[in-house]
Amino acid sequence: MFPWVDGFHWTATHIIFLSLFFSAILIILSTLVRGIWRAYSDFRAHRATAMCWRENFIALPEADRRCRHQLAGRVDFRTCDNAFDCRGCPNYANFAELPASPPTGSAGVSFSNKLLYHRGHTWVRPEEDGSYTIGLDEFAQCLVGRPDSVKLPTQCEDIESEGIAWRMTKHGHEIRVRAPLTGTVVSTGGPDKGWYLKILPYGPVNLRHLLSGPEVAGWLAAETQRLQLQLCSSDAGPCLADGGTLLPDLMDAEPNADWDTVLGSTFLDS
Amino acid sequence: MIARYGMVIDLDRCTGCGACMIACAAENNVPPEPPRATPRTGITPMLVRALSNGRDGADRREAFIPITCMQCENETPCVAVCPQQAVEVDKSTGIVMQIPQRCLGCRYCMTACPYHARYFNWWDPQWPPGMEKSLNPGVSVRMRGVVEKCNLCHTRFHGAEEKAAVAGRKEIDPADYIPACVEACPTGAILFGNLADPNDPVTLAAHSPDSFRLLERIGTEPKIHYKTTQDWIRALADKNANHPTEAQHV
Amino acid sequence: MSETILLDRRWIARGAERSSTLHFLLWLAPWVFLLLLGIYAAGLCFYYGLNQTNMDNRFAFGMWIFLDLSVIAMGAGAFFTGFLVYILKQNDLKPMLNSAVVIGLTCYSGAVAVLMVDVGQPLRAWFTFWYPNTHSMLTEVTFCISCYLLVLILEYIPVLLRNRQLRKIPSFLIFEHQFHKLVPVLAGVGTFLSFFHQGSLGGLYGVLRGRPFAYRQGFAIWPSTFFLFILSALAVGPSFLMLVVATAEKITGRQLVQQGVFRKLGFISGVLLALYIAAKAVDTYIWLNFTSPALGFGPVDFYSYWPLSSTFLFIATVPLGLFPAILFVVPRTARHRGLLLLAAVLTCGGVLLNRFVMTVQTLALPTLPFDEFLKYTPSWQEVATFGGVIAYGVIVYSLSYRYLPLFEAPKGEDKHVSLG
Repeated sequence: MFPWVDGFHWTATHIIFLSLFFSAILIILSTLVRGIWRAYSDFRAHRATAMCWRENFIALPEADRRCRHQLAGRVDFRTCDNAFDCRGCPNYANFAELPASPPTGSAGVSFSNKLLYHRGHTWVRPEEDGSYTIGLDEFAQCLVGRPDSVKLPTQCEDIESEGIAWRMTKHGHEIRVRAPLTGTVVSTGGPDKGWYLKILPYGPVNLRHLLSGPEVAGWLAAETQRLQLQLCSSDAGPCLADGGTLLPDLMDAEPNADWDTVLGSTFLDS
Repeated sequence: MIARYGMVIDLDRCTGCGACMIACAAENNVPPEPPRATPRTGITPMLVRALSNGRDGADRREAFIPITCMQCENETPCVAVCPQQAVEVDKSTGIVMQIPQRCLGCRYCMTACPYHARYFNWWDPQWPPGMEKSLNPGVSVRMRGVVEKCNLCHTRFHGAEEKAAVAGRKEIDPADYIPACVEACPTGAILFGNLADPNDPVTLAAHSPDSFRLLERIGTEPKIHYKTTQDWIRALADKNANHPTEAQHV
Repeated sequence: MSETILLDRRWIARGAERSSTLHFLLWLAPWVFLLLLGIYAAGLCFYYGLNQTNMDNRFAFGMWIFLDLSVIAMGAGAFFTGFLVYILKQNDLKPMLNSAVVIGLTCYSGAVAVLMVDVGQPLRAWFTFWYPNTHSMLTEVTFCISCYLLVLILEYIPVLLRNRQLRKIPSFLIFEHQFHKLVPVLAGVGTFLSFFHQGSLGGLYGVLRGRPFAYRQGFAIWPSTFFLFILSALAVGPSFLMLVVATAEKITGRQLVQQGVFRKLGFISGVLLALYIAAKAVDTYIWLNFTSPALGFGPVDFYSYWPLSSTFLFIATVPLGLFPAILFVVPRTARHRGLLLLAAVLTCGGVLLNRFVMTVQTLALPTLPFDEFLKYTPSWQEVATFGGVIAYGVIVYSLSYRYLPLFEAPKGEDKHVSLG
């Protein structure tokens, strides 16, 4: 195999054969190394969380990737092509200028005008001391009810926007809640406290990707409708969905529904 | 000296006694066959086969043909196919050598050999207690899973070289190098010698009009020749001879 | 019990319809049994030696070599589909890619496993690499198959990492994202390696001057069987892939790919099969009229011993050769799914027959003038090992289908999302 090993011959056949073999091995191994190196570079450049989110986003069904402007009634139909990150969306400004026409009537679940909402069903409240409080919105709370367990990050731990803020389990389902902002955890709450995390962001804060005002109603109405369709059993006939509010503790009320799909759509986990 | 060791086997003298097979087995430490062995799983570097002209009654003729490694000279099939160069032709003797320690046991050489002169160790060698005393100390025992074949008693060649070195000679004395089968044959049917030496009796016998080789048209140039005056045997071999005559079954 | 079911469900993609855990276990059970039986038989061979088989000094190659050649031919769909998609840009075949990789992986790893049992000294397998004989076709086969197995493993890793739970690990997801982009390079190397080893498997027999039934002349150092084996592998690869996916569709009860994909694969298979039959006809003519008479052997030496042997030649050429080629290519028949699948089965049968004739029949035929036609029946250990490999393939494919997105088009190319 090598010149110093018995059986090596300095003949054309031998050398061509081994050259081709070594080249093939080199190409194969270098491809592997390149893949590992590129992945490592992504982690070093702090691109990993954003990339993971993007991969996750692409894997979501198209129905779960509606642009906020469609939900707000600014456009008829638009699928988000920027992983819900309006902060970097080149088209955001164009659509934001259009008049919004949110649906009238109940959104099916209550919300507050003072809070900013993330598409992963968390709310954000800026505090006076510069920190931000993060909680689970009414929609998610109705769905999950009281979680069986909650795994919050510890104090001084960092969370990254579009990364995982905290995890919950309910009836054996693991729920990964997306972080709406980047920052360091100052204190932790829980389902009893009405909020889950208080964070102190580092760097400039851009909240453009969070929903507020009329958009929230449109979004929650669409979410409620989606939920209704997903929970509807397949052998039911056509139903008229004309409003009403979500009941709390849905997972307890209907333990046999396809919660896997529902939770994935709700918390944007593919 | 570059030698080309070969044989001329006189089929008119071969009685099929099998002494050559036994001598070969004894010389090469071939183990006794295990209970489940069949005629096709035995190790017989020298194997005597029976021939007949296929007729009955008074017209029937039979003969015996000892088959051993033909020590092919031209593009030796087993050398060409071995994936890890465990077979090579020894340039100084022309003997096709097998390296059992390098053999993977893939058996590709066995498929390649047109003479079926290669044998695989299907079992671990085992000797009944006490029989190990009869083993030849000059020949290593092979483990299961490797191929082996006749190597013209190469250890005897080494012995002859040692003897020559002790006596201060560069060339071996041909009388010192006699393979076991040649030595054992009671009728002297096997003639062994150096085909590179034009005066060697084996060379002269190989060139006689009565001599032939098996599967000559395949072009392996075997160094084991056969000799017979019986036409029906020649007719069997003629189909594949380099100069085919009309095949006649006598 | 429900916890176990949920545990199983967690590994299945969200929203994917899969049979219940119990059903799946019931499906797997007989295959697992077959696999264990195969492992036991192989274990016997490792422990007691190859005397556990019915191979002998005359049938030095037996059922296992037939198995190796056959599964490697069937697994050719892996490299060929990759070549068609990445290099020839036949993007409508993309949904078949992952299946092709799984099939290729199981075929090649199964073949290598059986080879390890088949050789007398498996621990010396590295000798071929250390002391290679570059004139031997078997050396070429060993090198190429080892490299290609590595390629297949690397191509399977991104598929594996798309599992729902494995994706949650950031390093896996990022690696999959980056490595996925490099797979076309592997496909290219894989194509190159595959051409050589598919051909060399044919070359194994074509170079045997001592076996005039198998010996062929050819081009440079490569006998005609080198090229014939490549052609037949290219023809059977898409057919076998089609059969596996169609079987998966039948068993799961859902349509996994569009019908047009089957038709396209069938067309490719048919064209190559027709080319193969034509080449083989020319080759057979040359072989019977020139090559083997030069060695002193004629058709009577090959076909007079056993009534079926000449029938095999006819069967391989017409019912298992020309007939399926026509079914694949003619639009009226190619439109029917049933006829497409029939043609695929016949193509696979034809290639299996060809591999059988080259491996087993070659050894049965006498070379010495006083020899006779020999018979060989594999022992139960050989059959069990064969069954074990098939079971292994079924198990790996079943697991891959259940837990991995085998039929999703690889993401990223068709959805444009910036990093923001």
